[in-house]
Amino acid sequence: MTASGCERIALADLTDYAAGELSQTEAAAIEEHLFACAGCAVRAAEFNALVRAIRPAVHTAEVGGFVTDELLNQLSREGVRVRTFALSPGTVVPCAVWEGDELMALRLRGDFAGAGEFTLLQRVGGTEVSRVRGEVTAGEHDEVIFAIPASWVRQLPIVDIDVLLTAHEGGVERPVGRYTLVHAGSLAR
Amino acid sequence: MPDTRATLEAVSDEALARRIAGGQAGSTDAEEAELYRRFAPRVRLYGRRHLRNDAAADDLAQDVLLLTFERLRASDVRQPEQIGSFILGTSRMMAVGERRLARRREALAARFMDTPAAIAPSPTTALDAPRVAACLRALAERDRLVVMLTFYADREAPRIAADLGISPGAVRVIRHRAMARLRDCVLGGERR
Repeated sequence: MTASGCERIALADLTDYAAGELSQTEAAAIEEHLFACAGCAVRAAEFNALVRAIRPAVHTAEVGGFVTDELLNQLSREGVRVRTFALSPGTVVPCAVWEGDELMALRLRGDFAGAGEFTLLQRVGGTEVSRVRGEVTAGEHDEVIFAIPASWVRQLPIVDIDVLLTAHEGGVERPVGRYTLVHAGSLAR
Repeated sequence: MPDTRATLEAVSDEALARRIAGGQAGSTDAEEAELYRRFAPRVRLYGRRHLRNDAAADDLAQDVLLLTFERLRASDVRQPEQIGSFILGTSRMMAVGERRLARRREALAARFMDTPAAIAPSPTTALDAPRVAACLRALAERDRLVVMLTFYADREAPRIAADLGISPGAVRVIRHRAMARLRDCVLGGERR
């Protein structure tokens, strides 16, 4: 930690401080320094603004990507309308996006066999629109959850959305499944 | 003629505190505003860390600074040269009281409410949510997950580690890296 004297407090310290993961002594040392050092206080205030901006940014439901049940539950608790699709490999399901939906959660099931890294490819009408590779752990229900902003799906024409999931294990790629959403446009009640 | 904001920026914390202490209520508004500008962000940061609630942190900053001005005018601040320490001490004292109050509120809510109140996003966030969302999207999948689980779902490293199948130490390393990238993206890389 670099909170002594007039040295700058490291970003890592500010991150751990904001996450509440410093010991009481370490946190107190940072606080003592911040209340005495105007320069560090300005940087800390900027960092705090960034941390505080994460919640409303996530709340916009425009972030997407691989998520966990905890995140989905938190979003739902905070009023974000999540439409969930549980999909097994080879599934073709109608994709009903209602006007109030904000986030689509795809629960992609399959044989993950302990794989920890995946590529998720999305095709719209046969054309690749995104390819995401990430280290993700399959949950207890043998599924990974991928979130898509409903606003993005809503603006699509009537079209099939294919999701292809590939696992990476020791440099070898293995298809996990192909999941198809038959998008029928935006629905209104 | 009162000092302008520009001239007050060059005045030390101690001198501001002494002016407020020596002035009548209402005659040192500019000095109070300057001291507030300097210290409210620090109290907010402190409040977020200890109260885990942005709205409560905003309230704490207001309460702490108002009390500081009152104490200065009442000559209760014995060492104006240590005004930062005084404000930190006041923050600690008031945060303890706020935590007690919050626990009572939670206990009452648990007894009399069916569901916990929804947590409203802070209305005072200065950064543009769509821009931050875009920068979050630009992070690597695991980096983004760690950031969201930490600062959106309020989960600590051991819990995140268990969910993601990695060690708590790895969670911290990922979080440090991710927050540096997020900051550079949101603030345009102008900060070190």
